[in-house]
Amino acid sequence: MSSDLGTLLRPVRTPLVIAGALQVVSALAGLVPFLAIAELGRILLGGSGDPWSAVIWAIGGLLTRLITIAVANAVTHIADAELQHDIRTRIARHLARVPLGWFTERSSGEIKKAAQDDVGAMHHLVGHAVNDLVAAVVTPIAALGYLFWVDWRLTLLILAVLPLFLGSYAVLMRGYPEKMTQYTAALTRINTAVVEFVQGIAVVKTFGQARKAHGRFRTAADDFAVFFGAWATSMTRVEAFASALISPAVMLLVSLGGGVWFVSAGWLAPADVLPFVLLGVGLTGPVLALGFGANSLRQARAAAERVAGLLAVEPLPVSARPAAPADNRIVFAGVGFSYDGRVDVLTDIDVVLEPGTVTALVGPSGSGKSTLAALVPRFFDVTSGTITVGGADVRDIAPADLYRQVGFVFQDVRLLRASLHDNIALARPGAGADEVIAAATAARIHDRILELPDGYDTVVGEGAHLSGGEAQRVSIARAVLADAPILVLDEATAFADPESEAAIQDALSGLIAGRTLLVIAHRLHTIAGADQILVLDGGRIAEQGTHETLLAAGGRYASLWNASSMEVAR
Amino acid sequence: MIRRLSRVLGAPYARPLRMHLAGLIVYAILQGLAFVLIVPVLRPLLRGDVDAALPWVAVLAGTVVACAAAYWIQAQLGYRLGTALSQALHHRIGDHLAALPLGWFTPARVGRVARMSSTGVVDIMGVPAHLLAPLVTSYVTPAVVVFAMIFLDWRLAVATLVAVPLVILVFRWTARLFAATDHAVDAAGVEAANRVVEFAQNQAVLRAHGRSDFDQLEAALLEQRAAGRKQLLRAVPGLAAAGLVVQALVTIVLITGVYLATSGPTVDAAALIALLVLTVRFAEPLMAAAELGAAVRMAGNSLARVDELLATPVLPEPATAGTFTTPGTIELDGVGFGYDSRPVLRDVSLRVPARSVTALVGASGSGKTTVVRLVARFFDTRTGVVRVGGADVRDLTTEQLMSQISVVFQDVYLFDAGIADNIRAGRADATDAEVAAAAALARVDEIADRLPDGYDTRVGEGGARLSGGERQRISIARAILKDAPIVLLDEATAALDQDNEAAITAALTALSRDRTLLVIAHRLRTVQSADQIVVLADGGVAESGTHEELLLRNGQYAHFWNERSRARGWRLTPA
Repeated sequence: MSSDLGTLLRPVRTPLVIAGALQVVSALAGLVPFLAIAELGRILLGGSGDPWSAVIWAIGGLLTRLITIAVANAVTHIADAELQHDIRTRIARHLARVPLGWFTERSSGEIKKAAQDDVGAMHHLVGHAVNDLVAAVVTPIAALGYLFWVDWRLTLLILAVLPLFLGSYAVLMRGYPEKMTQYTAALTRINTAVVEFVQGIAVVKTFGQARKAHGRFRTAADDFAVFFGAWATSMTRVEAFASALISPAVMLLVSLGGGVWFVSAGWLAPADVLPFVLLGVGLTGPVLALGFGANSLRQARAAAERVAGLLAVEPLPVSARPAAPADNRIVFAGVGFSYDGRVDVLTDIDVVLEPGTVTALVGPSGSGKSTLAALVPRFFDVTSGTITVGGADVRDIAPADLYRQVGFVFQDVRLLRASLHDNIALARPGAGADEVIAAATAARIHDRILELPDGYDTVVGEGAHLSGGEAQRVSIARAVLADAPILVLDEATAFADPESEAAIQDALSGLIAGRTLLVIAHRLHTIAGADQILVLDGGRIAEQGTHETLLAAGGRYASLWNASSMEVAR
Repeated sequence: MIRRLSRVLGAPYARPLRMHLAGLIVYAILQGLAFVLIVPVLRPLLRGDVDAALPWVAVLAGTVVACAAAYWIQAQLGYRLGTALSQALHHRIGDHLAALPLGWFTPARVGRVARMSSTGVVDIMGVPAHLLAPLVTSYVTPAVVVFAMIFLDWRLAVATLVAVPLVILVFRWTARLFAATDHAVDAAGVEAANRVVEFAQNQAVLRAHGRSDFDQLEAALLEQRAAGRKQLLRAVPGLAAAGLVVQALVTIVLITGVYLATSGPTVDAAALIALLVLTVRFAEPLMAAAELGAAVRMAGNSLARVDELLATPVLPEPATAGTFTTPGTIELDGVGFGYDSRPVLRDVSLRVPARSVTALVGASGSGKTTVVRLVARFFDTRTGVVRVGGADVRDLTTEQLMSQISVVFQDVYLFDAGIADNIRAGRADATDAEVAAAAALARVDEIADRLPDGYDTRVGEGGARLSGGERQRISIARAILKDAPIVLLDEATAALDQDNEAAITAALTALSRDRTLLVIAHRLRTVQSADQIVVLADGGVAESGTHEELLLRNGQYAHFWNERSRARGWRLTPA
């Protein structure tokens, strides 16, 4: 864990060292005014020396402290801002490389928490921890050294409260890491529940109790409060005691009371009480600040641990010596796949997709159609066997090359909150306006875009509220512009929006011409003309052939076809 | 800020908050007194008069014990308040969200609300627990000291008082600098958070288009860094100035004191030194106040955002429950509505008799979904009236209206829980047998049989692990379980495979038995068999009637029917 932290913090090590050094100067300079006033006391009570030089020392000390502390803080905070940005960028880059399956196991709320909240929580670690720590160590040590020099017996008396404090603090820290983990988990649950609550608000409104928050959100909030309440109650009793013990008032009583005692016993000159009253009281201040900060520090460390954990997620391996596909021929050889390692979703898939042909995947829900299609663009890696494109294993092809080769039109369209131009030019960010317009025109969406307030510059979700069919045509325009020779297509897209079916179908017909096509089919008659039809059942290829040969065989496909023909006839 | 905290928390927490504050102030005053007692103890002591100092040491001891006790009590109160606060805030935010009109929920707000209810609430929780105590003591304690100084040595008191307004001014200025930039920092954080969620949710699309980068996210992150830097650049001079002012104060007192001491025998050296000790000691908490004040302001901004949310008007609710004169009916009378300045519905009137099926048909953007939303009162109409069961929906309490209707959405959102849990969302107190029965009617049992953990299989965020047809079947089961007399149905548009098609037909048949159905119909069979078809166009009702009547009329519906029939025959590749 500490090595994770070390790695994360490496970029800011130099600024942290500089800040630490400045903080040492600042802590020492901070003691000077106190010494000067003690000296002033001696002088004014009849000692020798110039009172004004003590004043100058005091002011000089104050100024030095002010400057060094300001610079140290500025240095750490600038480093912190840089580091946060650096880590967030690294997280974003890393997310783009982890297997897609990783995302289905997690809510986007969790990912958001790591990239935003956790990185933000590290602020204390970089911005304050070093400064606070140095101050908390250097100030008391230097002050104690001086006080020992003045009178070691009274110093020991003042220190007597420390073991009590440390003892209660040790009690406080028992079981802390476990509690902290629970705390974070409870907070994450709230995060997840609220995202779900807000995204599913329509369901909450109609099915939940009227005007009551979503049950899961309430449960998460209550759990958090109950947990935190129990924890805080047990902790604050001790913590408040410990803090009271080293509070300035108690320290004042010990220093002053001790001073009176020592003077009356004749162990100490009256003027020598001054340093103890001045420094003894402030001895615990930085320690107290450290205590206040300790909570933030632990949270920061826990956050850093989670961030490091996220960055440590194994990315989808990329070949060191990438192979280039020779053509558009796709070969599945003995492919097997399982999402969880428990249940095989695909078993022994052997099939060849010749360039320029259409292959349709047919079968009931859960037969593995969508999974099979998702393996070609390497959304997941096969569990066994290989998939090659143009003779190269998809795992050996550089991702950029693979995606240039394979396009994908999904059933559930996702448009980005970006301009329509950027949405269509997703695969080719540098595409010109004319190319984007040509693609939109081919996808039968150009006219609709022109109706939007800012045309192609309208931002989806802000100025543009597109219907399902319109969004689908934007996604087809994307594929047109991407112009990948291999296309994986969900046939359902053709029927995404019944009111614009004809337009979508025209757009699709234009898109698929001349490409190698892998189609997830739901309606058999749509793909009856395919070059090859694969009937999947339970993750295996049950039948394979053209519409005619499969009908003639009189197997599963034939009975599906007969059932669907009756549907159409009705 | 304390007033706002009290308002956001609501009346039940006003007393605990006052108690905590009172405890804090008592503690701070006692601490100030303890410091002031330095003077009567030190003055005789420095002259070597231990006997005169001793009684004051006793007074000091008493004050310190009282002070420690006050500290302990206020800390307990503060933590208890902080805990109560998290629960109260979450509940108030949650309940308010549930009552807001649906139109409020734009995608950008998801991130905002998530941030508010996690880190935002934690920020606010810290106010009583960690921030209020140091803040109050760092102002009240020095104030007590300054006040006492007036009686101890008026000249030094004047020197201090001269600097006080300056200190206050500079502190205010510093805090304002922070607060001003904090809005920008927060806005940048929200945008970046939204982009991260978007980035994660769109991974499949982005990768399929060869994009491992996402310009919008990178821009948002850069903006976040810029906002942080800007805050830093503006805050550092403020903090430095605050430090400088406090030191100026110490310096003035120091110089005045030494001047008084050296210019003549008018001042008691022992008293002077005691006062100087007091001055340097009390200056330090003031320094801390500048930094803390900023932190409190930032928590204050979180509080302001919650306050703002709670102040967003909710859909008005009648004080008394309305009455249903014709249960099971839906009626729209001259309804006009638009989400923004552009009207979606201009003048829509239609009647759905009890226990009948009405299909809404029309081009995309013709307002079919809007009609359904208005019936469920996700929004209020601009003009005209929507009646459910004969009563204006605005005269019904939310409980009443929701007891009448179930909604089956097109974009079914399932919670990341088990299938059974998602069905049970329709009626929380349903028995397992009732859930199973509803599941069987909607043929969800087939889905559960196929999945490894059956009804306990988690469906993923939003139901991501199921197909669209499967999601809709679960949502139908939910509506069957709820058993409301009216069902509003937005049929799934995605093409369904044989299994789902047959299953949904069966499920809808089960659902429409003995219920009123208003359906945005996408499947031709649903349209064809409806008791009434309403064709929407140009913000109004273009035609209505049965399938046969409308075909004979040869108008928009006939055209729509022919187009759809042709589209059904479309083939991806010519046979």
